[in-house]
Amino acid sequence: MTPRFDQLLDRFFYRPDEDEGPYLANAPRVERAAHAMEEVPEEFLSFSLEGETYAVPIHAVREILKITAVTEIPRAAKNVIGLINVRGEMLPLYDVKTRLKLSTKLPQLRGAGDVPRAARIVLLKDLEGDAGILVDRVSGVVKLQLSKLEEAPDLGVERSAIAGIARRGEDLFILLDVEQALS
Amino acid sequence: MSEPRALNEFIVEANEILETLGRELLALDQPGGGEADPDRLNAVFRAAHSLKGLSSMFGLDGISKLAHRAEDVLDALRLGRAPLSATLLDSLGQAVDVLEHMLGAVSRGEDQADLNAAADALGTELTRLATGEASTDADVLDQVGIDPQVRAVFTEYEEHRLRENVKKGVGLWKVRAVFSLTDFDVRLADLNRVLKPLGEVVSTLPSSQPGDDASIAFDLIFGSARSRTEISSVLPSDISMEGLTKRAFTPTPPPPPSMPARPSPTPYNAKPLPSWDESSGSGFALPAPPSSSPSGLSSPSRVQTDASLRSLTNTVRVDITRLDGLMNSIGELLLVRGNLERLAEAARNATGSALPKLWGQELQREARTLARRLDELQKGVLEVRMVPLVQVFDKLARLMRRLVRESGKEVDFDMSGGDVELDKLIVEELSDPLMHLLRNALDHGVELPSARVQKGKDERATIGLVARQQGNHVIIEVKDDGAGLDESRIREVAISRGLVTEEQVEEMDRRELLNLVFQPGFSTRKDVSELSGRGVGLDVVKTNLQRLSGLIDIDSRRYAGTTFTLTLPLTLAIIRALMVNVSRRTYAIPLNAVLEIVPVREDALRTIEKREVFEVRGQTIPFVRLARLFGLEEEKRTVHYVVVVGIAQQRLGLAVDELLGQQDIVTKPLSGRLRGTPGVSGATELGDRRAVLVLDIAALLEEIVRPQLEPRSA
Repeated sequence: MTPRFDQLLDRFFYRPDEDEGPYLANAPRVERAAHAMEEVPEEFLSFSLEGETYAVPIHAVREILKITAVTEIPRAAKNVIGLINVRGEMLPLYDVKTRLKLSTKLPQLRGAGDVPRAARIVLLKDLEGDAGILVDRVSGVVKLQLSKLEEAPDLGVERSAIAGIARRGEDLFILLDVEQALS
Repeated sequence: MSEPRALNEFIVEANEILETLGRELLALDQPGGGEADPDRLNAVFRAAHSLKGLSSMFGLDGISKLAHRAEDVLDALRLGRAPLSATLLDSLGQAVDVLEHMLGAVSRGEDQADLNAAADALGTELTRLATGEASTDADVLDQVGIDPQVRAVFTEYEEHRLRENVKKGVGLWKVRAVFSLTDFDVRLADLNRVLKPLGEVVSTLPSSQPGDDASIAFDLIFGSARSRTEISSVLPSDISMEGLTKRAFTPTPPPPPSMPARPSPTPYNAKPLPSWDESSGSGFALPAPPSSSPSGLSSPSRVQTDASLRSLTNTVRVDITRLDGLMNSIGELLLVRGNLERLAEAARNATGSALPKLWGQELQREARTLARRLDELQKGVLEVRMVPLVQVFDKLARLMRRLVRESGKEVDFDMSGGDVELDKLIVEELSDPLMHLLRNALDHGVELPSARVQKGKDERATIGLVARQQGNHVIIEVKDDGAGLDESRIREVAISRGLVTEEQVEEMDRRELLNLVFQPGFSTRKDVSELSGRGVGLDVVKTNLQRLSGLIDIDSRRYAGTTFTLTLPLTLAIIRALMVNVSRRTYAIPLNAVLEIVPVREDALRTIEKREVFEVRGQTIPFVRLARLFGLEEEKRTVHYVVVVGIAQQRLGLAVDELLGQQDIVTKPLSGRLRGTPGVSGATELGDRRAVLVLDIAALLEEIVRPQLEPRSA
């Protein structure tokens, strides 16, 4: 590279310290760099399915419902448990366990009495129409860093509904791909 | 078209157009706005144009004539043939006003002789203004020293631009250039390039005084505010220029009035004018016309303006979603009513003390009153949602007129039943299927005149669009007297496409065979015509209709014609339904499809090709155990409750476990993900908030009555 080209490159590239001017010039350099690197963690709603902990982005969740009356829909798709009435809106309730191969049978669910007390319906926002998924228990909201996501290990099971895996200390969160999980 | 309903529709629409017209005219009159916004002018022009068309359709010549005059003026404005002057705007405003009053007279069924006279006067005035401008403009151009012979070859646009330049008061120059024939194109382009920054080249004309044989001369008419020295400094030395106007650098004042009694209007941009409301001080009322306007003309319209500012119709346009919201509320009220009745019943039947019993009776009476009022309310809202089919029929008629013209076929288009009313939602959804069927009739059905004569038919074909109400349904027929469908060809195609087997075809009756054309992937004509479009077949028409809980049937005779019959429910919103239990689950069956309920003994069932059937008064009807169809556990019983449902000629018996009674329900569509669930059209909620599925009878009939075409369900 010729020195002239170096000069051009030098002028072309943006340097934050040039921009920030004198105000931050005296601040310790190292800290600032570290700050720039830090990522804002995303919030996820975590819940359990057959003892495993799953998570979906909190912005994809519309609300969490207690189990209400569920109406079976004959001849609907295989993973549809039924229809729920959410304040007058008729929305489908999906089973993700069969999709994730955690279970082989669609649960027979007609009302609150058919499932354990901790079970909830997580209502997900979706372009194709909002839909609920049945979960065993809602654990809470966790902050996870997207950059630290791992790809799900290939265990020879259905993985297309899993977006990735996140760790936080001891805990392992399996991120659900909402779009895939409902298909 | 004298049906009062259609006329009312017209009045509402015309009124809206006039409102738009008035609004846009006001906007055009923004003081200091400079040149008129071309989009706005076009909008006003279109409004006047559609008003003309609409009113002439209803034989309202007075309105049509005035609208026509206004349209002419606006067209002139649009093309720059006339300048936008305050007087012109005032006259147009008056025209809107007079039109409003004429419309009012029409709506009241009054004679409108005096109004017509006023309209005529105004129309003449408008025409005078439009053409008057043109003549004064000609004067403007006369001031310019251009040879009349040269002017004769100007295009209208060039003349318009020249006029604009004269009005701007810039200098006009004739630039004479003589170029060698070898490179004149390049040099002319060069000349244009140097002149452009200084002004506008209005026209480039081959000179009327040509040079020698080896060269060609051009006269460029050039408008520029620059001085002669400035211009000539950029010109190559061999190019000369001369001034065209006598007073090149002073703005040309408006020409003197051509008629002393009626001074011609000042050009619009000469000075800002007060907007109408400013000068009148009363909202949108028109001001007294400027003194320049002849007094005989202004008086009738002014009197009318003062008469009333109220609008003509009491019509309100409402977004259909608001009505949907009302419908939902009513649906919930209906649930409350049901609960109240139950409570009252319980209290009345209470044993022991007399007091609750009395309360119960009282409560029951009140509940009944509530029920009656609710019925009225529900009926009212349903009525509000109903619109006449003419809304879509008119659009179709216009389309057909155009298509027929393009097709080269001779066709009479017959339409009737436009006054039949249907739920707005259905009417909207109908336009595409109907359009498709009509195009099909014109494209595939109707033959060319020569072919028709050969077959001994009238040269002119007829395509008909007929609607009529029949009970809770509306029947719409699309028929043509064209070539009809070729049954043997249908048979061939259906087999070759693998839609049916040969054995299946053998067993089909004529109707079943004809109905094969609704199968996806069926089309008897190989070439795709412009008219019918590509890739959209009758199967799409059928699917669209099914979404509306409608049915489509076809009948056709070779060489005699084809008739499509569409059967549609009156409304989709609130329906009365028969609630039934199947395997302890509740379902709603729309009552408009229920014909009767009959008990059928298990041992009275017969089978035809392993499918169960039963007989009602000599008619054999397919028997369907809903529990089995839906994959639920079946109860063993010796006598079945069978709900006989049917639409058009198709019949089906649905075996249920329990009849719960009738109820008004608000059907809610299933969300996007569940759409397409077979046999279910939507859901509704009952008192306990549990969702109850509403059966889609049209789809079930489709699925079961014509099972030859489907793989048998287990």
